[in-house]
Amino acid sequence: MNVQNKRLPGGGRIDRSYPVEFSFDGQKMAGYRGDTLASALLANGATLVGRSFKYHRPRGILSAGPEEPNALVTLGTAGRREPNLPATTLELDDGMVAESQNRWPSLAFDVQSVNGLFAPFLSAGFYYKTFMGPTRRAWKVYEHFIRKAAGLGRAGTEPDPDRYVVRHAFADITIVGGGPAGLSAARAAAAAGARVTLIEQDFLLGGQLLAERSDGTAASWLNQVEAELKSFETVTLMKRTSAFGIYDGDVIGLVEQRDQVGPPRTGEARQTVTMLRARSIVFATGAIERPMVFANNDRPGVMLASAARTYLNRFAVLPGRKIIVTAANDGAWRTAFDCAAAGAEVTVADPRAAPPAALVAEAARLGITVRAATRIVDLHGGRAVRGATLAGPDGQFEAACDLVCMSGGWSPTVHLTSHLGIKPRYREDIDGFVPGAFPANRFGAGAMMGNYAAADAIEDGHRVGVEAASFCGKSAPAPAPSKLDLGETVTTMLRDVPSAQRGKAFVDFQMDVTTKDIELAHREGYESVEHLKRYTTLGMGTDQGKTSNFPALSAMAALRRSTVPETGTTTFRPPFTPVAIGALAGRATGHHFKPFRRTPMHDWHLANGADMLEVGVWMRPWFYNQSGADVNEAYVAEMRNVRQAAGLMDISTLGKIDLQGPDAATFLDRVYANGFAKLQVGRARYGVMLRDDGIVFDDGTTTRLAENRFFMTTSTAKAADVLSRLEFLLDTAWPELRVAVASVSDEWAAMSVAGPKSRAILAAAFSSLDISDEALPHMGAQEGEWKGRALRILRLSYSGERAYEIYVGATAGERLWSHLLEAGRPFDLKPYGVEALGALRVEKGHVAGPEIDGRTTLDDLGLGRMVVGKRSGFVGDVLRRRPALLAPDRQRLVGLECIEDGKRLRGGAILFLPGSKAHGHGRGRITSVTFSPERGRYVGLALLAGDVATEGSEVVAVYPMKAETVRARIVSPVFLDPQGERLHG
Amino acid sequence: MLRIECPCCGPRDHDEFRYGGDASVRRPAHDDPDPEAWYAYVYVRENPAGLHREFWQHVIGCRQWLVVERDTRNHVVSSVTFARTSQA
Amino acid sequence: MVSPDFSLSVADCPLIQVEAWDGTLGQFESSLSAALGTGLPASVGETVRDKNLLIIRVAPRRLWLALDDGAQAPSLAIDPDLGCSVCLGEGRVRFSLAGADIASVLSTCIAVDWHAPTSAPGRAVQTSFHHVPVLLLRTGETSCDLVAPRSFARSLHDWLADG
Repeated sequence: MNVQNKRLPGGGRIDRSYPVEFSFDGQKMAGYRGDTLASALLANGATLVGRSFKYHRPRGILSAGPEEPNALVTLGTAGRREPNLPATTLELDDGMVAESQNRWPSLAFDVQSVNGLFAPFLSAGFYYKTFMGPTRRAWKVYEHFIRKAAGLGRAGTEPDPDRYVVRHAFADITIVGGGPAGLSAARAAAAAGARVTLIEQDFLLGGQLLAERSDGTAASWLNQVEAELKSFETVTLMKRTSAFGIYDGDVIGLVEQRDQVGPPRTGEARQTVTMLRARSIVFATGAIERPMVFANNDRPGVMLASAARTYLNRFAVLPGRKIIVTAANDGAWRTAFDCAAAGAEVTVADPRAAPPAALVAEAARLGITVRAATRIVDLHGGRAVRGATLAGPDGQFEAACDLVCMSGGWSPTVHLTSHLGIKPRYREDIDGFVPGAFPANRFGAGAMMGNYAAADAIEDGHRVGVEAASFCGKSAPAPAPSKLDLGETVTTMLRDVPSAQRGKAFVDFQMDVTTKDIELAHREGYESVEHLKRYTTLGMGTDQGKTSNFPALSAMAALRRSTVPETGTTTFRPPFTPVAIGALAGRATGHHFKPFRRTPMHDWHLANGADMLEVGVWMRPWFYNQSGADVNEAYVAEMRNVRQAAGLMDISTLGKIDLQGPDAATFLDRVYANGFAKLQVGRARYGVMLRDDGIVFDDGTTTRLAENRFFMTTSTAKAADVLSRLEFLLDTAWPELRVAVASVSDEWAAMSVAGPKSRAILAAAFSSLDISDEALPHMGAQEGEWKGRALRILRLSYSGERAYEIYVGATAGERLWSHLLEAGRPFDLKPYGVEALGALRVEKGHVAGPEIDGRTTLDDLGLGRMVVGKRSGFVGDVLRRRPALLAPDRQRLVGLECIEDGKRLRGGAILFLPGSKAHGHGRGRITSVTFSPERGRYVGLALLAGDVATEGSEVVAVYPMKAETVRARIVSPVFLDPQGERLHG
Repeated sequence: MLRIECPCCGPRDHDEFRYGGDASVRRPAHDDPDPEAWYAYVYVRENPAGLHREFWQHVIGCRQWLVVERDTRNHVVSSVTFARTSQA
Repeated sequence: MVSPDFSLSVADCPLIQVEAWDGTLGQFESSLSAALGTGLPASVGETVRDKNLLIIRVAPRRLWLALDDGAQAPSLAIDPDLGCSVCLGEGRVRFSLAGADIASVLSTCIAVDWHAPTSAPGRAVQTSFHHVPVLLLRTGETSCDLVAPRSFARSLHDWLADG
């Protein structure tokens, strides 16, 4: 076990009474509760923690937050393996198993890093030039090689055993960021009476205050405000939660990590996504420190100045003993002071000729060497920085060091505020971008608005908290927060973009973009920021260029000899930080992926050998395994039984709509292509609806139960669309019609008894009903009762056989089903599934979903005769007469019969004329097929060009997926009983 | 996600609603025989960058058809009314 | 994984839907109110309880009359010139949820603000539960019913029970 040789004996916000063990690349290490993986690695003296994306350069820890571009690790094993996690955001957990990435065979010795082996292939624009132009075939050659060389961590391949949850939440005000501004805003808004949710990505509140000493004034301010917030019942504090996106409707996407400390509780989610709807949003997202750009600025041991201070004061880790602090601003001097006070040997290299006297005096007091007008030009060392070349007023000189702290100024974190299209605005006095104008319900406070000093952020937060509460109509007086003055001075940054480095000077650490790449992009004309981004892949890493954006913009601005605002910024899009797909899916996986609809007879089907099939959102019996060994054997047997005796089919999935009102008949007359006004009470009619454009929409039967009451059925698939369409017409087109429509799909269990013995079965089952042909003729309807439940019997046929549809209250569905089977036993009544149902209707030539495909007209489907005489005024009537829809070569419904022995037809096959080349779209296609026991061969329905659809002639059906070609004869689509005699058999 | 304030149910997520197309086009009378009128109603659309009147149905709710005025540039919904003007 | 602070039960849900024509709402309401012997909820989302009957307004011209399990349905003779009624009692189930964890369980099911006045005890909210239309009846501080279509009931029950 490594010793924590960089850990200081006291201080910090770690719990020394709670030691934690973890492993990194197989090596056991120790840390404390309150550490991040990054702080624990640093405490153990690990400086090299990863390899870079393209060049496999050794990398260390740059930051102490979610902006980290380098220290990406893979966590966990097997199904829990999760790659590309910034070590700087991972709360150290006992037993944590972390691995470095992008290295082979080991982190310390990586084959691919030798001389930047692939560097020439991977310069900016390489992909564009090689793979988009005339040489794009090169991709096939290089793909394998590039994919192996590049890329980040590997995800696990086993199923993830953990639980994820998506939840909904609401608040008056959401405050994003738990630093001084956010805390102050939350306090003010809560005091004003608003319901507040405060979001903090860290496991501690405080933001940049956590970089201050853990026993100072900042800490006591923090403790006091946190206690105040916890005293409000209306405040929800969400730690370990990242706001990854802001969406329309003021919805914020949040992903919350499980509390890593301690064993997981049963059923607890590893990550929870919360969609939080707020009336007002306060952004207090802080700012991200910018790196400085100089040769080899990516060496392990180079760190942002504020990060070094955070490791020192929050985690009691002094990451170096011989430290160079380089910065062009006052703030970074505080890192020098704190490190010196902790015992390090510190040099400050400030490019300014005359840094402020107060800072110089304090440095002198702490024994710090100050080098004014001095900058770093190069760094030395491979796996850890060993020294620097500096350039000062007296020329270049070398200095030994084991840590370089840099600060190129600060960039307000404007990512989230930009998600809804608000362009950031450049503020010259801070040389950075702040959010553009907010709508009335969104606010910004603190560092993200450029107000960096804690005292200013607290004041800003308070003001904005009051304003946000007032927007929500809450304006109880909010007492001012306690003051906190850390004495930071904020000066205008001197922008630092040196050119002509000796080695690679990195701008985007994660995507390995250097100043030379930006120069190349500029030289080749990719000057606009959006082009620069795509040409160099700048900002396209998992860190989304949080540290690189501004340095890249200022480098390009310098090359273009323009200003940063003229150069502009790229567009920020969600997610701010990566979100696991599993977290977004939440519990909606496996059988919860979508809810299924089950018919009232579902359990009976399962208990009686049904092989179930997902049909849209429904579960339906596909076939019953008592009928045959597999579906092909079973459906043919089930068909034969329907044709010879009788079959029972669960048709509860049909859409069912109750229509009532004085104008119901008029309404139906308009929505169906065929007339309904004259339908007699007690009779049913097959109807077809068109869309406004004249294309067939859906078909079904509608029964007139009473003068002003109808019972409509729709196809299973279109049930919701039809109801919504009817409501649309009533609400928007014909509000004067007094008609009420209501879905009764769930009300009724429905089953069909079909076959020559069906009447006998009904007579046996319903002894009290008269189901003679006189009382219940074809297309007739009867209402009654069965066991106290409403009953409807319609004599309708889908299969071509004498058949009855029986509807009963859903709660009695399974009982009636069993009753019918019992009554039908002497008549060989057997259940059949959807495969046989489909086959029966194909044999009878009835069109269904495959033919009513949103492109076919009544005439195409052979249903034109349904529009009788001069009937007009129904939906779709005018546009169905457009010349193109009447063209003689339009594809229309035909029957096909396979004429090659031992071969079969397939749905989807393309039809060609014999002798023509089988190429392109052909003259038509097969829509539905079945084996026909009647014909002893495969038959099918097809849509075929009208000019060649001559009955008796041949076509060739080509099925390229299986390289099948089969000859078929064009026949009538009604393969069975064209006179319809069996309906009465 | 879009949030739409249903006049009788209050603000709801867009996945409770069904989109119903442009509400600024006028549907011809059911017995209007003019193909041009139907052609205009079915196919001719303005596609504005700005305010757009459109039908939405609160289908997982009160099932009322609504007219929503939405800015196509930023999804800000400025008004929502019942498509059926009379509700008494 | 339901916590000990949460309970779930399922029952049938006798239900009648009544609806007025556009233009006859006032007369329809007076006649219905007289027939039931009680006032009607004024706006969508409001409910009125009268003995074993809960009256819920689910749309501007549409009301649901939900009967307690086992209760006798009221005899309604709706004037066909004023409106109509349809029985929906076979096709719905009623989930009864209760317990201190209810708000947290429901937050993974429906996007309804448990603390908003529009979902306070006595209120009804029609919303989407995993894409399925449900009616939330807020029955108490830590309890509610969900009325859901019967065909979806098992999927929704499994989702709730896994919560």
